[in-house]
Amino acid sequence: MLLKRIQPMVFQARRLYVDIMFQVMGRALQAVSEVDETVQNEARALPKGLLFEMMVMPEGSRLIVEHTGDGHFHYHGQSAPRPVDLSIQFKHIAHAFLVLSFQEKTSEAFANDRMLVDGDVSYAVRMTRVLNRLETFILPKLIAKRAVKEYPANLHLPEKLISAARIYLKVATNFVETVRP
Amino acid sequence: MSQKYYEFFCPVKVIAGKAALEHIPYELTGLAAKRPMIVTDKGVRAAGLLDPVIAACEESGLEIVSIYDDVPPDSSTSVVRDIAGIYRQEKCDAIIAVGGGSAIDTGKAVNILVSEGGDDIAKYSGAGILKHPLKPFFVVPTTAGTGSEVTAVAVITDEKKGVKLPFTSSFLLPNAAIIDPRMTLTLPPHITAATAMDAMTHATEAFTCMAKNPLSDAYATAAIRKISQSLLKVMDNPKNAEGRLELAQASTMAGIAFSNSMVGLVHSLGHATGAICHLPHGLCMSLYLPYVLEYNLESIREPLGELLLHLEGPEVYSATPVARRAEATISAIRKMRDQLYKRCQLPRTLKETGKVQESQLDQIAEMALDDGSIMFNPKEVTLEDARAVLRRAWA
Repeated sequence: MLLKRIQPMVFQARRLYVDIMFQVMGRALQAVSEVDETVQNEARALPKGLLFEMMVMPEGSRLIVEHTGDGHFHYHGQSAPRPVDLSIQFKHIAHAFLVLSFQEKTSEAFANDRMLVDGDVSYAVRMTRVLNRLETFILPKLIAKRAVKEYPANLHLPEKLISAARIYLKVATNFVETVRP
Repeated sequence: MSQKYYEFFCPVKVIAGKAALEHIPYELTGLAAKRPMIVTDKGVRAAGLLDPVIAACEESGLEIVSIYDDVPPDSSTSVVRDIAGIYRQEKCDAIIAVGGGSAIDTGKAVNILVSEGGDDIAKYSGAGILKHPLKPFFVVPTTAGTGSEVTAVAVITDEKKGVKLPFTSSFLLPNAAIIDPRMTLTLPPHITAATAMDAMTHATEAFTCMAKNPLSDAYATAAIRKISQSLLKVMDNPKNAEGRLELAQASTMAGIAFSNSMVGLVHSLGHATGAICHLPHGLCMSLYLPYVLEYNLESIREPLGELLLHLEGPEVYSATPVARRAEATISAIRKMRDQLYKRCQLPRTLKETGKVQESQLDQIAEMALDDGSIMFNPKEVTLEDARAVLRRAWA
């Protein structure tokens, strides 16, 4: 009985969590592309103007970023200025929650058929590497190890801390700028 | 609660064994098809492999209305459009693809056009575009390696844009795959070897990569057992029909396994090498398999060790200490490659192919890193890792 009463609240909390995580990740993608050379090198191979979307099927939360050229991303929020070129779609919000709460690695989610790729698979592979790189910066090592296939051995604490601080600062600035009228 | 999850799907009716071709008329009639079209290539026709298919149908009063025998090795959008035009003109109502990967992929693509309408196959490229079942479609493989008869994927070249278009949908799966030993009896030794190693790689990667699951494992191990027991026998006696059937079944089983669990770095490197150096796919698989297994070793030690049982049999398996089984599996695969080299000079290194230059290795590594199958490799592959594997495979 209690479970039945709580369930809608749990679902709402899960939806809110996924929504907030998408907002953070979208801004963090933009930020990491401004501070990390490895991410920039990965992104440079993407066509300029490519619109990348991560979303929950059928019409749930989403994040949209654009490759504006030279390895830089721009976060567009939830709406795209034109049809997206590459979309990674979670089949259900429960699957998105598993990945975004770091209970399932992105690569595992692909292997477990939790997600679909609509668009050029080679670009999706690159974007997955970018997401992994982002997660290794912004998450504590213990959690990051749960989120990525392999934690990079050459990422040492000073570099991680400095990059994470710069990314979080940029994310916070972006949040403030977008809510300010 | 267990975090494990998997999906497994294979609705293809497998019709295998002696006089399997003779089941085609009955199976077509069961789908209300009366006017089938054959899609094949010139090599298959020249080898006389169409004759038993046609005879099997005619004997049952089923007329093959049209035969298209000009499928190129890399099928294109214009070929697909032309075949669809003939299908419509002749009022056909079913497709029988007879051949290897290209003929089968072409058959799948033609089936999209004749079922969904239109002339532009590019419109249907991508995943999940198709929403309805297609026309009756049968596949008769003439090689034992690709497993295309049980995969839901087709690749067609768009010659105008110079890109390969992928098509993915469960509706691409044929209604039936007909595995008849007569169809592979005349395969030349080096193709027999390369395609069998293709199937071996499908099964090995299916069993060791990230999306492995209990059902694909069962198909993968059975396929490996069949290949290891039959390949050298067939190489020594190409007319061994029983061995040929075992290899053909192994190819189908490996196809079922990898289409439900995906593949890894061997395929990423193989796809890149095929695109850059134009080496046959099966040969690329044979080249890279042991080197990639060595690279992945510490991530796949347990499943790889299990494969020793299926490669070498229970006596060798039980006599090998648990801690050495994974290495022994790689040795068994190397031994098999040496035997194939002895029998038909199937190259074991990139240098032995004579078609790859050392200067191309960096380009291959870079391209491999963008291949979709790398996502399912158990280890995260960096550019330096890919280069290191290629250097080991060089000579």
